[in-house]
Amino acid sequence: MDVGISRRRFLKGSAALTVLGGGTIGLTPLLGNEEGDHEAAAVMTKTSTKEAKLVPTLCEMCVNKCAAIARVEDGVVVKLDPNPLFPKSKNMLCPRGNAGIQALYDPDRLKRPMIRTGEKGKGEFKEVSWEEAYDAILNGTDKFPGMAKILDEEEDNRSSFLFCAGEGMAEHTFKMFYEAFGSANWLNHASICLQTVASAYGVTMGAYPQADLENAEYVIMAGANRAEAIVTPDTMDIFKRTKGRGAKLICVDPRFTNTAAKADKWLGIKPGTDLAFVLALTYVTLDEELYNKEYVTNNFNDFDLYKEHILSSGYTPKWAAKITGLKESDIYEIAREFAAHAPRAIYYPGRRSTFSKNDFQLRRAMAIFQALSGGIDTKGGLVFGSKLPLGEHKGVVPMYYQARERAVNKNKQNDGYDHCVVVSGGGSWIAWRNRFLENVMPYKVRGAFIYKHNPMLNMPNTAKTAEMFKKMELVVAIDTMPSDTVMYADVVLPECTYLERTDPVFSFGGVEPAIAQRNKVIEPMYDTKPVNEILHGLTKKISKPLFEITKKHDMFLQDEITASESDLDENSTMTLAELSKQKEETMYADEFDLTKVFEHSQEEVNEHMVAEKHGEEAAKQIKEHGIFYPNMEKYYKQLGENKFQYYPENKKSYSVNGGVPKTPTKKIECNLANLASKGVDPMPTWRDEYNFKVPNGKFKLLTGRHAQFTQTGTSNNIALHDLIHTNYIWINEKVAKEQGIAFGDKVEVSSATGKTIIRAYPTEKIAPDTVFFVHGFGEESEKLTTAYKNGGCDNAVIEDNIEPVYGAAAMHETNVEIRKV
Amino acid sequence: MANYVMVLDYKNCINCKACEIACKEENGVLLGADKHRIWVGSNNPKGEWPKLDIASAAFLPSQCQQCENAPCQDVCPTNATYYDKNGVVQVDSDKCILCSYCMVACPYDARYVDDRTTTVDKCTFCSDTRLARGEVTTACQNTCPTKVRTFGDIDDPDSEVSELLRTREHFSLKSNLGTKPKLFYLT
Repeated sequence: MDVGISRRRFLKGSAALTVLGGGTIGLTPLLGNEEGDHEAAAVMTKTSTKEAKLVPTLCEMCVNKCAAIARVEDGVVVKLDPNPLFPKSKNMLCPRGNAGIQALYDPDRLKRPMIRTGEKGKGEFKEVSWEEAYDAILNGTDKFPGMAKILDEEEDNRSSFLFCAGEGMAEHTFKMFYEAFGSANWLNHASICLQTVASAYGVTMGAYPQADLENAEYVIMAGANRAEAIVTPDTMDIFKRTKGRGAKLICVDPRFTNTAAKADKWLGIKPGTDLAFVLALTYVTLDEELYNKEYVTNNFNDFDLYKEHILSSGYTPKWAAKITGLKESDIYEIAREFAAHAPRAIYYPGRRSTFSKNDFQLRRAMAIFQALSGGIDTKGGLVFGSKLPLGEHKGVVPMYYQARERAVNKNKQNDGYDHCVVVSGGGSWIAWRNRFLENVMPYKVRGAFIYKHNPMLNMPNTAKTAEMFKKMELVVAIDTMPSDTVMYADVVLPECTYLERTDPVFSFGGVEPAIAQRNKVIEPMYDTKPVNEILHGLTKKISKPLFEITKKHDMFLQDEITASESDLDENSTMTLAELSKQKEETMYADEFDLTKVFEHSQEEVNEHMVAEKHGEEAAKQIKEHGIFYPNMEKYYKQLGENKFQYYPENKKSYSVNGGVPKTPTKKIECNLANLASKGVDPMPTWRDEYNFKVPNGKFKLLTGRHAQFTQTGTSNNIALHDLIHTNYIWINEKVAKEQGIAFGDKVEVSSATGKTIIRAYPTEKIAPDTVFFVHGFGEESEKLTTAYKNGGCDNAVIEDNIEPVYGAAAMHETNVEIRKV
Repeated sequence: MANYVMVLDYKNCINCKACEIACKEENGVLLGADKHRIWVGSNNPKGEWPKLDIASAAFLPSQCQQCENAPCQDVCPTNATYYDKNGVVQVDSDKCILCSYCMVACPYDARYVDDRTTTVDKCTFCSDTRLARGEVTTACQNTCPTKVRTFGDIDDPDSEVSELLRTREHFSLKSNLGTKPKLFYLT
């Protein structure tokens, strides 16, 4: 066996894969000169045998929130190690988790509050004190109007401000500010993330389930890439058992990913045709009566209708083979093997952005296919798991009578809205942005608060997002890094990184539920603060003045706080005016004082939330160990270097509902009749327009993830750059040869939306009509030394296609041209 | 006194490179592709789209083999390279003269020049960091998401590594050279 990979060969091999500087294409500007290398060296740490402080915390380098222990020597965080106590992350930290130190010590970090001095988008700011920044938000400067002016002009329509946030533990804190402020315009990452998958599973089986990959015997992973898009515990559970070691993994992907490399079988499907694949699996399952009849009888609504629909539509493997490019025999084999292993068989739900416009239907078909096997709420199948309760942290939600509802427009043709049928809590970012630009909002939105979110790069059509921010009169950004979005801010409020703050305590549901907390490791550096302190300061500044504006425009409030003769009782010594003032003060204190939400420190709030449900000891334990679940001290055992017991087998939450779906009817919903009137197929149905089509000379553009970066959030991390210096566009080798494109050549990728420049990686791992590159590169913010103009930006090219049901951005519907430059 | 070895269930490896960063952070290895104590080798799959050979696309995690009969130690003219009491091949940076004989001699290409200490450095099984603090395993073993590695004392018959090597088929790299590596790969 050839396993001897030498350093020289490794370098050569890696260059072919990732270009680790050196070798093949010479030093890129990024890797830079010697000087650059020495600068980089300065931030690398080394541990010692000195006495150290060990602080349990939670990672924030991606969405997983794995448990870590920070080692602090002389006040410096020198190492992040996995915290073995957390059942979700089971004693592991991925490369990003390890590189968290560089996020903390990144010299490009936002260090002090700033206000805009130059043209919007140019990144010209001056550093100011917190008080000056808060004042600029309320009263504006000569460059931009303040919140008071806008709200007064909009007659206290609180929805004239947009609030948007990226995923994170403190998203909750920011959302409490949004609720207290009283806007109806909340946009989060959902519609550019997992909106359709979560919702489709929700309406079909009543929950977005987890997958028990630790016990599954057969797993279909289609359009999910767990070797590169790491999800805990899924990634750790599955890859220890593939290759004939307990679980057979079928990878279905238009690219040969690292997951494909670790699979037992890989099928290179045509992009956007997974629905046809699932429908054909369903056809075989129904036609050959491979399904779990007892489960179906007890737990399905409209099974006969669905069966009739699938069989009469002719969704045979032969039919699907033409559409998907897969072999008919493979589809038969997979359907039969899946049934043979059920209920320990999983069609993996995945956790990703919406790729195709048919994604909602695809997810519905996947959920129903899974349910046919009976592998729901059961060991080795899809599981609901259980969740430990937490106490409540009450917010302030004043009634603003002048606040309008969310800026959406009813659709005149059907029961839905313009751009999408259903408007979820997170809204449709892309549709909202486009309505704003097209001036078809029901009222004016003039300001935006952005928290830990990078809309400039995270949503298709970067040019449109830039236009939106230019038009927005007051943009306030709370972030740790000078991202492309921060460049469009009027006021920048610097948050400290996750290693410098305690975040809201969180309950993680699953087969082995636990509560975990991100504890502050070191005090905030520079003049930065956690978001709850930022919002405490801000609300102290704006709460009273904003109340005055409400008072001015809100007749109901005026009525409520104006005393009349009848309010005065006989013995009162107060005048009417005095009583009115008292009423006003009481009203303010009880309902409109926004500072109340943030008056307690996060530590105090967490302590209360844990102690309320699990007692004082639990609150203490979570502070000391980062993790809590009942009986942890009894249940938790390290059984070997790589083996941990969190719960005894009979205490695990494999089955919490006796297999019964969690929908309101307690049935799997095959037919959503109420959607039909809104123009949505009530049962998953293939439509001709879903067929994969690419005009001659063009390529379907795919985007995705890898294990070394998380979207744009880590783009400036120097240790991760050490692993992957830039992104590359995958082009089929033969196509590249025909076009004279060699490895490392610069190519321009263009679409109707825009263009980007990126280096080429010719490979057989992708089809001749498809190209791919990883998301999260190509930042335009000059203040990001490492990330600035590094690699190609996918969203500069991806067209703003909107998925019709929830308004999610459909990321894989763009055809591009490529040209060597 | 121990006899440390590493057992690698290398089929678990997903090439995420967590071990590479953990190693650099723990041991203060400088950034740069030519400076590393640990690495994952990877091959592109053989074949043409869509008939690609999954088996040819394996990931091969590696590091210094801590040879019992280390060629790098043999050739070192200043005895900078030596075996410590736990059988780990170490380098004394005071004695190293950067002659680089060891780099040439090592059949596994496991040695590199550390610009900070001006030493031809190598993996030490975290001897001066983690093990010196009384911890029982290395940074790479500890952090690995798919748990490729098991670290331990092969002279202790009750250790996990001893058990693994008794029960699982395994091989070592370039064993024909007689270097007697202490990294064992499970099949």
